[in-house]
Amino acid sequence: MTEDTPSAELLVILRHAPHGSSWLKEGLDVALVAAAFDRRVTLLFMGEGVTALLEGQQAGPLGQKGTAATLEMLEMYDVDSLVVEKRSLDALGLSGDQLMLPTREVTEAGIAALVASHALVLNF
Amino acid sequence: MLLHTLNRPPSSRVLDQALAGMGPEDRLLLIEDGVIGALPAQRERFAGVAGRLYALHEDLAARGLLTRCDDAVRVVDVEGFVALTETCERTVSWY
Amino acid sequence: MRYAILLLDAPYTSQAAHSALRFTRALLARGHDVEGVFFYHEGVHNAARLAAPPQDEPHLVDAWAELGRGHDVALQVCIAAALRRGLLDEQEASRHGKQGFSVEPPFELTGLGQLVDLGLRCDRLITFGP
Repeated sequence: MTEDTPSAELLVILRHAPHGSSWLKEGLDVALVAAAFDRRVTLLFMGEGVTALLEGQQAGPLGQKGTAATLEMLEMYDVDSLVVEKRSLDALGLSGDQLMLPTREVTEAGIAALVASHALVLNF
Repeated sequence: MLLHTLNRPPSSRVLDQALAGMGPEDRLLLIEDGVIGALPAQRERFAGVAGRLYALHEDLAARGLLTRCDDAVRVVDVEGFVALTETCERTVSWY
Repeated sequence: MRYAILLLDAPYTSQAAHSALRFTRALLARGHDVEGVFFYHEGVHNAARLAAPPQDEPHLVDAWAELGRGHDVALQVCIAAALRRGLLDEQEASRHGKQGFSVEPPFELTGLGQLVDLGLRCDRLITFGP
């Protein structure tokens, strides 16, 4: 029997769109805190979560901040491992060049590999 | 080998997300509303994890589904759930 | 084994809190060491000291507190998620000039760093979401 030894520390899976709920914001907060504590973090944008990366997002009418500004801070925290689910991009008619940050696209097999290679996987 | 838990019914897209996240040896445990997926009519949806599919006894029983559960699904109680988390190196929850 | 639990939904809203409590009790019964239960997102409502469910329903807040005291399980509530939702301990209430408080020991308000630490330090972390 093979033990998969996790090669990376934390995988945060973001499956929700910005503004509609606090899932995306609270998931990103975990990633930023982990990165601030020098943990190696990978972000996987899955399902509607891929829309978090769209350019041109704004604050809501009541001044709700949204999450675009937080995403722009990722680089400062050395979080540069951003992965998007290709199936979700395709389903929404989006492509990688429409996203605000450089990302790597993965297929279904790539998602299972990511999950297997991280010591801790948190779904948001 | 990882354990994945799913608490959403098979009509939910979360099932597809859970299946996408699973490796070839990983186990899937249906809990809460997820146990609706243990009905024989849902067998096709879980074909990819045949032999690696579990459902939580208490959640089946609470919903009147215990006797209606597909024979191919392994039914475990909460102690069995704990045992699965011991055997599997890590647990990933899909909700 | 050393376990940690992450609970992400409010009591009485979904089954998540019931599942998490039952699973945690089963862990202790099997002799595992539960180092902490972390309450995040809507899960912070599990720490609401004023919760008053009908007497014929399980009192989840009391059940967590009992588990925390009786088994030395840390009950850690994300402070940022809690404050937004009106869950303040005595110290935070006074700091924000509020009368009364809504969180008390054994629940403790703490930072998200504790969640990352628990997750990477323990042998297992099990999440219960809505």
